[in-house]
Amino acid sequence: MAGEFHADIGPQYEGEVIRKEDLYIEFGGPKVAHKFELATVKNPDEIENEKVEIIGPDIGDLKPYDEEKGGGSYPIAILVDVAGGELDKDAEAIIERRIHMFTNMVEGWYHMNQRQDTWMRISKDCYKKGFTSLRELGEIYILLYTSEMPIIEKIQVTIITDEKKVKELLPHALEVYAARDERARKLNDEDVDTFYGCVLCQSFAPTHCSIITPNRIANCGALNWFDGRAAAKIDPEGPIFAIPKGELIDSMKGEYSGVNAVEAEKSLGNYDRVYLYSAFEHPHTSCGCFEAIVYYIPETDAFGVVHREFKGETVIGETFSHMAGETSGGKQIEGRLGTGLQQLRSPKFIQADGGLARIVWMPKELKERFKDALEAKGLYDKIASEGDVKNVDELLAFLEKVGHPWLKGEVQLPT
Amino acid sequence: MIKTIAIAGKGGTGKTTVAALLIKLLSQKGLVLAVDADPSTNLSQALGLPLDDSRTVGRIREKMAEDISQGRLSPTIAKPEYLFSKIVESLAESKGFDLLTMGRPEGPGCYCASNEFLRGSLDKIVKDYKYAYIVMDCEAGMEHISRQTTRDVDVLLIMSDPTIKGVTTAGRMKKLIEEMRSNVGKVGLVVNRVRGELSPEIKKAIEDTGLQIIALIPEDPDMAGLEMQGKPVTELPPESPLLLKVREIAAGLHL
Repeated sequence: MAGEFHADIGPQYEGEVIRKEDLYIEFGGPKVAHKFELATVKNPDEIENEKVEIIGPDIGDLKPYDEEKGGGSYPIAILVDVAGGELDKDAEAIIERRIHMFTNMVEGWYHMNQRQDTWMRISKDCYKKGFTSLRELGEIYILLYTSEMPIIEKIQVTIITDEKKVKELLPHALEVYAARDERARKLNDEDVDTFYGCVLCQSFAPTHCSIITPNRIANCGALNWFDGRAAAKIDPEGPIFAIPKGELIDSMKGEYSGVNAVEAEKSLGNYDRVYLYSAFEHPHTSCGCFEAIVYYIPETDAFGVVHREFKGETVIGETFSHMAGETSGGKQIEGRLGTGLQQLRSPKFIQADGGLARIVWMPKELKERFKDALEAKGLYDKIASEGDVKNVDELLAFLEKVGHPWLKGEVQLPT
Repeated sequence: MIKTIAIAGKGGTGKTTVAALLIKLLSQKGLVLAVDADPSTNLSQALGLPLDDSRTVGRIREKMAEDISQGRLSPTIAKPEYLFSKIVESLAESKGFDLLTMGRPEGPGCYCASNEFLRGSLDKIVKDYKYAYIVMDCEAGMEHISRQTTRDVDVLLIMSDPTIKGVTTAGRMKKLIEEMRSNVGKVGLVVNRVRGELSPEIKKAIEDTGLQIIALIPEDPDMAGLEMQGKPVTELPPESPLLLKVREIAAGLHL
């Protein structure tokens, strides 16, 4: 494929590892403070097509790693600027991730991580064969990008090893990553066609299947929709798999035909309906691993939330572990919902039941951890914790005093 | 074919010493992944590598869980990949072998997903790095074997001292491994610090466990000297009895 380069290129080199014994030098990685890689979609007139620019010392100028003295680790920034009529901001992350794959396709090069954690190694052999300039790497990127992603019409690559310059540009890259994450957090169930299912916990709860959607993290809190997508791509037949969401049956309660079908299959026929956004009707099953429990308090007609780390008694006199025993095991229990904690930030969190505004009690620690989300809805001072009340009678008095919106009848249930 | 050797035993039986010597020995024949799966001992020190507590798999896993719960981890970075890269970063690379330190066992909460990622990461590391051997220094409960966070084991060496108590403990560990779902090829007993012959009582106790004796290692005077100076066991002189015995074990097991 690459006659003009000092290294062979191809997918066969992707699993290639460069251990310290074979290392010539490395860029980025755990020993280097300033490093990042960034793809940016620009206007065509901002790009000098197929230009490669190196700023700072090149491979040949740098002191290699020495077995006795160590060293050989240097800062780096890789900037890939692209333009194309069909390209938008959302393409940046995908283009940027290709740096990982393309670098690994070069014989004698190794790439790990992404964003501000990037880490590249060059082998002694590769250097000996004449790969002494990053310019060559930039040219390889351009070759691979243009041949594999025809959507890219113009491209330029800048590789920076000058520490001062990398350090100066890093804050901008961090801002871009944060903005991307913010967009990802705003992804909704309506925006995608595929959800994911996880049956990793079926050894404990044979009828439990976690449904993972953009608005619903897995019960254990460890897997979000993006993780589901990545895991199902690596091993589609594995314990984490794709669920075509099918038809939307009830947008308020969160009922999808595809989810119902998977629930029937994975719960061994025990359940055939799930309401993703309710703790009352057809609530999601719970394994044993949930981070928190949403529990109904009949006297208030509202819910409490308790998390695993809270060792005391909740306002109904039961501890987390006591309640966990009843909630777990892969059953649908009306008024009891095992959940991941980040769910408290989901706009669809028990939406059908009134959402966060239906919560009347949670441990102080949780209130603090989710203070921003509670304050945004004016609920921070309305929810009692263990310091405020000891039992349901005291809770009712507290709610009366602070004027909790649910008890005042101010919360409208969606219809 | 990659060979996985696990060395287990209660504290004070010299299992970490034997593991370190076996790692050094095998690293001359092929690349070794050394796994310190016993949080109470210190394989890195025995191998003469600096100790870094922040770089254990347990710590990585805890930190990942913390980062997720505090919303610090980007939602778009896939956790299986993230865990893999952090584990690769934690590998202590040395001549002929890499050391992976497992660290503290799991705390409360759900580990189904993280153990699944851990299994996947370890499998990928083993495949990508093309190790010829994996040598694991396991604690007595053999958690990583029982939880199947590690792959199948070809040889399990259970270490004991020449006492009835030591041998009975070894027997219990054999039973434990038999009750587990995991695949273990050969299980054998290594008795360390043997002075002269084994007593008839101990021979009888060993017979009762059903364990096959792989080796009897004599008390090594060089070892005591190293321990007093705090030097790694890998500095034992080439003709020390301990080293000769470890060579014998490797040859006997066709490693």
